[in-house]
Amino acid sequence: MVTVGIPKGLLFPKYHVFTSAFFDELGAQTVSSPDTNKTILDLGTKYCVDDACLSIKVFHGHVAWLKDCCDFLFVPRIMGFKEREFICPMFCGLPEMLRHNITGLPHLIDTPLASLQNDKLYTWAKNVGYRITHDKTVIKRAFNRAMQEQSQFCPGINDTNYGQKIALLGHTYHIHDAFINMDLIQKMNDAGFGIITEEHVPASDKEAAVKRLFKKPFWSFFADYYGAAIHLYQTSAVDGFIYLSSFACGIDSILIELIKSETGEFPFLIIKLDEHTGEAGINTRLEAFLDLMKRRTHDDRYDSQPGEHQYCGKSVV
Amino acid sequence: MIVTIPNLGNISIAAKALFDGLKIPYIMPEVNHNDTLKIGSFYSPEEICLPFKIMMGNYIRSIEKGADTILFAGSCGPCRFGEYCELQMKLLTKFKPDLRFIVIDSPLDIGKKAFLKRLNEINLSSSASRKEKLSAMLAAYHTIRILDQIDAKAHELAGYEREKGACKNLLYSCKREASACDNPVQMLKVLNDYKKKLRQIPLDYSKNPLKVAIIGEIYTIIEPFSNLYIEEKLMDYSVSSKRTLTPSWWLKDTFLKPLKINSLAINHAAKKYLPYKIGGHGRECVGESLLAQQSQMDGAIQIMPLACMPEVVAKSILPSIQREKDFPIMTLVIDEMVGEAGYLTRIEAFLDMLEYKRKTGVKWAVCSSFPS
Ligand code: SF4
Ligand code: SF4
Repeated sequence: MVTVGIPKGLLFPKYHVFTSAFFDELGAQTVSSPDTNKTILDLGTKYCVDDACLSIKVFHGHVAWLKDCCDFLFVPRIMGFKEREFICPMFCGLPEMLRHNITGLPHLIDTPLASLQNDKLYTWAKNVGYRITHDKTVIKRAFNRAMQEQSQFCPGINDTNYGQKIALLGHTYHIHDAFINMDLIQKMNDAGFGIITEEHVPASDKEAAVKRLFKKPFWSFFADYYGAAIHLYQTSAVDGFIYLSSFACGIDSILIELIKSETGEFPFLIIKLDEHTGEAGINTRLEAFLDLMKRRTHDDRYDSQPGEHQYCGKSVV
Repeated sequence: MIVTIPNLGNISIAAKALFDGLKIPYIMPEVNHNDTLKIGSFYSPEEICLPFKIMMGNYIRSIEKGADTILFAGSCGPCRFGEYCELQMKLLTKFKPDLRFIVIDSPLDIGKKAFLKRLNEINLSSSASRKEKLSAMLAAYHTIRILDQIDAKAHELAGYEREKGACKNLLYSCKREASACDNPVQMLKVLNDYKKKLRQIPLDYSKNPLKVAIIGEIYTIIEPFSNLYIEEKLMDYSVSSKRTLTPSWWLKDTFLKPLKINSLAINHAAKKYLPYKIGGHGRECVGESLLAQQSQMDGAIQIMPLACMPEVVAKSILPSIQREKDFPIMTLVIDEMVGEAGYLTRIEAFLDMLEYKRKTGVKWAVCSSFPS
């Protein structure tokens, strides 16, 4: 039985349900790296070029950790979520970066994926599946099961039973990696703040909010984060924003400015992460920010009643 | 309407010819210097890439002088460049609320109608006749083509000149005179004269100068200020340098892209190392380094702004090319803090080692392991 290694970095929190079901049905065994930890981060900084952003380094760490215990490594080359949209140059060139930065890698499964439309995704899945089995019906079955499981899964967070609510903006891999964001979510919950992430804002609301831009954004992340932030701001659904960003991220550098320019004095905390970020500094800034929030009063709640958990309608993969 | 544009190497000279020919009032951007960058950085987000900041500096200076419309060629490529205008508009309209932006994007992305509408905005403010417009556009095209040719030739011949500095001085006075012309016909004449003069520079072909390719992020390599005038420095060291990415290359690339017949040689060369287009000019960077190696050049210098995403990908790949092909490549990362002295030392050390490698024929891995 072949073993497929799935690194727990980048968009893993969004697609892991899909991949484990897909490879399982294909008859492959999957192994993923542990949650990011010090060893993984150190491996990443060791192998990756210095100029890359933190998340790319962390991904290098996961790959280095996995490389000797699998036959294939799954490194999705995601070009964009929609036709003529892109996500980030680093994603497009990720497999090459890995190949040239780390020696002795197993085969990479790196078929490019340019759109999440069903038919495009299926073509992609056929391509990937073929590396494991040549049986077309098995691939088809695996794809259907993976899609089905994925559709019931929402990677976002929407806490409802807290006093105040904050929109946590930024890349999925910053929000869901408790090691690199130093348990930010837990800390906020402990302080009595609930969180909502971009996935819980309906696509139509995001699109409406993006319309105000001069130009249709061609970064998929851009449309999602900007749209969500502006919508939540306009509907007074949250008390403030926290943006988890990383140094050297080109997308964040533009996005943060554009959101800020729309929201004026609205409470907005930007936390920048890199491998040298100290926890003490973040704690102080977070506490100061949350204190400020507590002093502000507000009335409107975004969506549901206390205690209710909401699922978003849209599936990511 | 008074138009202005950002500086981009020779483009500003060609744009001047165009505006003169179209009879559109304009303000040319100041030549970039440290103050341009300082003002630009002041009004830009801290982490944005260098070209953005320099462009902001250009705009602000031109607005102060009375410009009210900014003409900018956008792109919907997967890099920040494509989102530049959105943010620049936001930032600059705070500075001047009635500022207008005309962004020329590819018709593929914004639709033919929007594209023509935007072109028409420029058209409307031109008082030239149809025929004059056409000839202005042709003249501008020839201007940029010839300028790029002169540039390339001068950079190449600098390695062979008998009298040191001849090429550099000629290039200087060519650009000075061309910028001083106030109509496209006169400018073309000046350029053609200089093209001839360049052929008359006494050369010594028995010299065998070092040959170095300049590769990397397009803005930083085209706009001399942002690369701390590397090409001039190489001329001073009597090195022949070659750079494929030029404004005329860019024009050709953009027009041929929809037909998918752009930059075939570069893409073909890059295929083994970077098979997909990653945005910016990352693939070009990889392809050019391989082409330079195939054409027996001595080495390549990659220039990129700090945190430039496509170039970071290229930078990961270049060491493999260096190792596998025994082809020396140095990367210079540029940001506002970069000190000129440290930069010069690195270039000199690199050239010394190229010289040494050539003389002794040892592998680059061996030369570069010496302490410099
Ligand atoms: S989007 Fe930003 S954080 Fe994510 S990989 Fe690209 S540069 Fe890094
Ligand atoms: S290619 Fe580099 S310099 Fe140009 S916009 Fe992209 S990140 Fe910035």
